[in-house]
Amino acid sequence: MKSSITRLVASAVILTFVLGSVPFAPAHAGMIQTADVFDDRARIHAVLDREDVRAQLEQHGVSLADAKSRVAALSDSEARQMADQLENMPAGAADVVGVLFTIFIILLVTDLLGLTSVFPFTRR
Amino acid sequence: MKIAGALTALLLLNGCAAAPDLRDTRSASAPSHALLDAVPFHPQTDYQCGPAALAMALQASGADASVETLIPQVFLPGREGSVQPEMTAAPRRHGRISYPVGGELSNLLEQIDAGHPVIVLQNLSLPIYPLWHYAVVVGYDLDAGALILHSGTEARRRVPLGTFDKTWARGKRWAMVALPPEELPAGIGPLAALAAIHDFERVAGPAATLPAWVTATERWPDASNGWFARGNAHYATGDRDAAHAAFTAAVHADAAHAPAWINLGTLYEELGAPERARRALETAAAIDGPWQAVATDALARLRTDPAPAPLE
Repeated sequence: MKSSITRLVASAVILTFVLGSVPFAPAHAGMIQTADVFDDRARIHAVLDREDVRAQLEQHGVSLADAKSRVAALSDSEARQMADQLENMPAGAADVVGVLFTIFIILLVTDLLGLTSVFPFTRR
Repeated sequence: MKIAGALTALLLLNGCAAAPDLRDTRSASAPSHALLDAVPFHPQTDYQCGPAALAMALQASGADASVETLIPQVFLPGREGSVQPEMTAAPRRHGRISYPVGGELSNLLEQIDAGHPVIVLQNLSLPIYPLWHYAVVVGYDLDAGALILHSGTEARRRVPLGTFDKTWARGKRWAMVALPPEELPAGIGPLAALAAIHDFERVAGPAATLPAWVTATERWPDASNGWFARGNAHYATGDRDAAHAAFTAAVHADAAHAPAWINLGTLYEELGAPERARRALETAAAIDGPWQAVATDALARLRTDPAPAPLE
């Protein structure tokens, strides 16, 4: 049982690799597009990534219309990054007000040592 | 016990706290201080340092992009912040190309020397309680050992180089510039530049991107992919002569660039020169790789299609 699952997973992984490594070739003859040469991932993956990112943006409070145009501005690899790890990405925001007291003490010391740069009043 | 651990961690951190001296790594003629006066400042409100940093960099490049416009383009309410891929993507919607900047302090300084403000990601705090923050590097003063940033609610904040370097390292030294299509950042390599330009073209289209391909092929005449992409942009905007010249330059730079040979062949066919088309496609079909089948198909089609009336 276990080995058949392993085999199933293995074939799925292999299939993914194979699909991912097949270069996109136009079905019709004619001009080869810049993207056909520059983007080495199969298009189908990119389309799925983008749909995934759009849904995630909406879950994070972005309107449908904004989410669509935001996804359209991403490159394939950016869409992939977002699809894979949006939850773990640092989101630049820095607002010092919410820092807890214990953390405050530690950061005050590290600020004074010049290791961090959290509080305006520690500036030298 | 916890306190002892924290103190040990602090001591360890302090062990690598020496401020980097950049003067050794820079040429003697390089300036010791610089400030980009013209970069506008927008104080951040709430958690919106991402849109504010982008507005400063984009406006400095001559784009008309306000903080209010950028908030719905990069701010993620659910994360109360903005993530890097979207920071990179948003300038494309304002006609600006985002380029990555290398992870050395000297890379930041060379952008300033070239007149380009740099958006950086910092973790102002420690990894256990991260405070992620986007700021814009607008200058430096090496005599005072400081970097000058538009950051948060403070314009031209002077941050000691050593402190900045640590907060930047905790943001994995992420940095970018956003430039008009006819400009390239200092110190970038052809691979990274061509990829960035291509990402822009997908959003902004070939006509807006053409100046970038022209600049890139001038800077890296040996980069065959640059000529290939430039040829496609010329072709897409209806300039077949320029496309022909660019594809020719691509195969001069790399005789094994099969896609450039195929496009050259297709172009010759359209221009009514089937003999030249055949030679170009045969060259492509003789190059091992994924394009061989495409070239062979195009050749077969060329043989069976009735020849168009020749122009020559």
